[in-house]
Amino acid sequence: MTNTVRIIINDQTYDVPAGMNLVDAAKWYANDDIPVFCYHPKMEPVGMCRMCLVEMGTIEKDRATGQVVLDENGQSKVRWMPKLQTACTTTVSDGLVIRTQTQQVQDARQNVVEFLLTSHPLDCPICDKGGECPLQNLTMEHGPGVSRMAFSDKMRLDKHVPLGDLIFLDEERCIQCARCVRFQDEVVGDDVLAFHERGRSLQIITNSEPGFDTYFSGNTTDICPVGALTTADFRFGARPWELTEVPSICPHCPVGCNISLSTRLDRDFGGKTLIKRVMPRQNEQVNEIWICDKGRFGHHFSRSEDRLEDPLVRERSGRLFAKSWTDALAAAAEALKAAGSDVAAIAGSGMSNEDLWALRQLLAGLGSRRLGAWPPTHAGAEVVAQVGVGQGTNLGQLGRGDAVLVIASDLEEEAPIWRLRLKQAADRGAFLLVMNARPTRMDDFAAQTIHYETGEAVQALLALKDSDAWKQLAEAHNLVIVAGAEGLSLDGSRALAGAAANILLETEHVGKPNSGLLAVLPGANAMGLHYLGFTPAATLDIMQNPPKVLIVTQADLLLDDPTAAHWLAKVETIISLDLFASGLTQQLAAVALPIQSFAERDGSYVNGERRVQRFYTAQGPMGQALPAWQALSRLGEQLGQGTAKLSAAAVMVEIAQNVPAFAGVSFKELAKVERQYPDVGGKDLYYGGTAYRNRGGLGIQIPTAADQGQTVARFEAAADEPPKTRGKLVIVPSVRLYNRERTFRPSALVHARVPEAYAEINSADAKKLGIQDGDTVEIAIQNAPALRVRAHVNGGAPKGTVIVPRHLSDTAAPLAVTVGEVSKAEG
Amino acid sequence: MALSDKKYSQRIEAAFAKYPDKRSAVMPLLYLAQEEYGWVSPEGIQEVADLCDMDPTQVQSIAGFYTMYSEKPKGKYWLQVCTDLACALRGADEFYEELKAELGVEDGGTTEDGLFTVEHVMCLAACDKAPMLQCNFHFMENLDMDKMRAWIAEKRAEAAKAKK
Repeated sequence: MTNTVRIIINDQTYDVPAGMNLVDAAKWYANDDIPVFCYHPKMEPVGMCRMCLVEMGTIEKDRATGQVVLDENGQSKVRWMPKLQTACTTTVSDGLVIRTQTQQVQDARQNVVEFLLTSHPLDCPICDKGGECPLQNLTMEHGPGVSRMAFSDKMRLDKHVPLGDLIFLDEERCIQCARCVRFQDEVVGDDVLAFHERGRSLQIITNSEPGFDTYFSGNTTDICPVGALTTADFRFGARPWELTEVPSICPHCPVGCNISLSTRLDRDFGGKTLIKRVMPRQNEQVNEIWICDKGRFGHHFSRSEDRLEDPLVRERSGRLFAKSWTDALAAAAEALKAAGSDVAAIAGSGMSNEDLWALRQLLAGLGSRRLGAWPPTHAGAEVVAQVGVGQGTNLGQLGRGDAVLVIASDLEEEAPIWRLRLKQAADRGAFLLVMNARPTRMDDFAAQTIHYETGEAVQALLALKDSDAWKQLAEAHNLVIVAGAEGLSLDGSRALAGAAANILLETEHVGKPNSGLLAVLPGANAMGLHYLGFTPAATLDIMQNPPKVLIVTQADLLLDDPTAAHWLAKVETIISLDLFASGLTQQLAAVALPIQSFAERDGSYVNGERRVQRFYTAQGPMGQALPAWQALSRLGEQLGQGTAKLSAAAVMVEIAQNVPAFAGVSFKELAKVERQYPDVGGKDLYYGGTAYRNRGGLGIQIPTAADQGQTVARFEAAADEPPKTRGKLVIVPSVRLYNRERTFRPSALVHARVPEAYAEINSADAKKLGIQDGDTVEIAIQNAPALRVRAHVNGGAPKGTVIVPRHLSDTAAPLAVTVGEVSKAEG
Repeated sequence: MALSDKKYSQRIEAAFAKYPDKRSAVMPLLYLAQEEYGWVSPEGIQEVADLCDMDPTQVQSIAGFYTMYSEKPKGKYWLQVCTDLACALRGADEFYEELKAELGVEDGGTTEDGLFTVEHVMCLAACDKAPMLQCNFHFMENLDMDKMRAWIAEKRAEAAKAKK
């Protein structure tokens, strides 16, 4: 706030930063809520709705002397503008004077509301927005109270227009503020909404295929100031005032969006607590006030039909029988005792820190340190712990003079909110360089795009130094490198993270906010896995040297890895702690223990930016499921490892005492909040929309080694040997946001958007193999059942490479890059 | 039937050559689509979107905003009669009523043979030559029903001949 200007609001003087929007300034500094419909603090002003009219003037100065002119009373004279002005299109300037509460202003507000209501249906009693509606609230506050309009002249329009499968438009309720249109264009960059016709016939349309084709559509329902846009998920589902808001963290990707689970006791759920919707919760450093549609609609798995509800033990017959917790834990303990220290664990990245600590303690008590992270696809976590983005990083601050490099990742599919925020960084003037082996959506926003040969990400990164782009990166004020692992082996992804880190070290972009490395790790808690000692390298070791007893927690090896059945055959006993009854539990587990999803218990995750964030209990447990930390802790108790902990908070106390990265972290600290700009989620829903104010905690960012002032040595970054193809094709698994993973499949309304299993094949390769676009092909790799998919020959894959999205069918696609043969399937 | 037809390639290139970016050529290309299909059809919108590298939603939005693009199928001859005050003073409103009766259609309707679409429009800036109309963006001025009947018959004969 070096450059401030002095403005006067309702006779009070305020010093505010130059260049600030007047509506924002009045709200933030003067606590004066100027009513708005079209203005939104995250978007450019358009001045369409006229609701923000205020009396405006400037302090008069003598033109010759520059002195303030005084009136007869010695007060500075104000030159008022002849008419009311829109506050939202005004930038504060020195000597600006406004009045927001005069009769003239109140009359104007009443008139604007009256205009907006001429054709509004006023169907608040059946409207999803009723109770949290800006138009409703502003009508109560400023509206005329009675209508002067002839009912017979009211426009009658379509009330159920599907804009795609996820969002419905009520044409009667729309007040044409264009917030949704501008959000899609300015914030997201998917301009799939627009106005059609004009004047009184103006309507919102989408003409994309499928309709409203974007991963961010749900946000438009939050910022819609009326009930015109509603989600197919929540439509007519509940009234806002019946809902209890529970702060939570999205469990789907490494961004770690802060969300709020809206719950109520629901008739359709046996009178138990049911999650009715997922809403964004403001955390300006993580997700601002946005979430992607996967986060918004991907909550159904927490109560899917497939949830494992009882502890199961496999009898000699090979069948699983439901047992009590005592019996099941005894069976597990017996197997563990018999194995001695020949025990290993594989933990999925949906496990909370508390779960992971309990698992680590259990194995430590047995004398094993074999802690595998699942899926073992990305190795960057240990590099992030040293040179990750600095403490206090906010991608929303990147702009002119800064640079962002995205490599080996399809961010749109892997971490949508990072993609959204980095797109905006590019809009603000940051230099965005995107490097991939194939075209991705991020290319559309990049200043420069480099396509390298499949698997040669590290070489491409090392070669950057001789390219034109180098200067832009090296001289950037801030530099963020976002490294994925597409097309790379585990070693390759480690080398890539190392090479990226070396660039950051060399150009001195470490240990400070808004600079450093971001790894696009899989799942919500991959960084937590790292900090608690679970590594993908250990997983590969477990795959090669299987232990006698393997504890698998919240990881479906069979659906993720087509070779899993092959290497798991050498494991004597599998103890599975899982959310779901299908897959590994059903097919291979000797003992299966039901655990609670993120929505059923307290816990914490560490997001990709190393922020420890806390989630809270929103719904009751499914069946007899326990939190994984509790199940593991009780298992330890059976093995004589001491008394089980009683709460997740108590487990965190133990973590903080033992793991340096978590020093000072406690549930109480994680729950701390402070005022965030812009001030959304208050009772003035018209300003920011229905995103929730953060009441659950902003989290604590773990410092990197560089943040702590340690000298970080250069990393090994030898390029990976390209896979020996011997005439075969390179099979590159990729990630699709919408897929058939068990944590997303139960969200039925998104099904139409999940593509049929497919593989992208280069046209030259396809020609050689006699494959045409749309043919069914079989992909054969070693130690795995053949994968049957639809061939897409459409220019997406480089020559010699077949791109196979994971989790699109029940047959697993390869876990990591491999070689294989592709042939046209018979019949 | 498409804008990819060779006969359009030169005009498409000319449209792109006029502007610094592709997006700006959307309006001339929409005219071409309308010429090709007789109206701005969904195929036309998609083709223009592909040509200009835009989302079809944005193209449709532009087609919807401007009245000279028709988003409904039209007859071969699109007759837009001005009935504003100045024209009405010279009998344009009566002329319009008679024209509709002659063709047996309502406002905005198309004749069964698919030849004529009639609608009334706002000022076309030829008040001194009323009654007047715009047929496929060309003015026909100082009209009366005798002239119109002869013209209609002529066009019908042409169409019948072309059919054979």
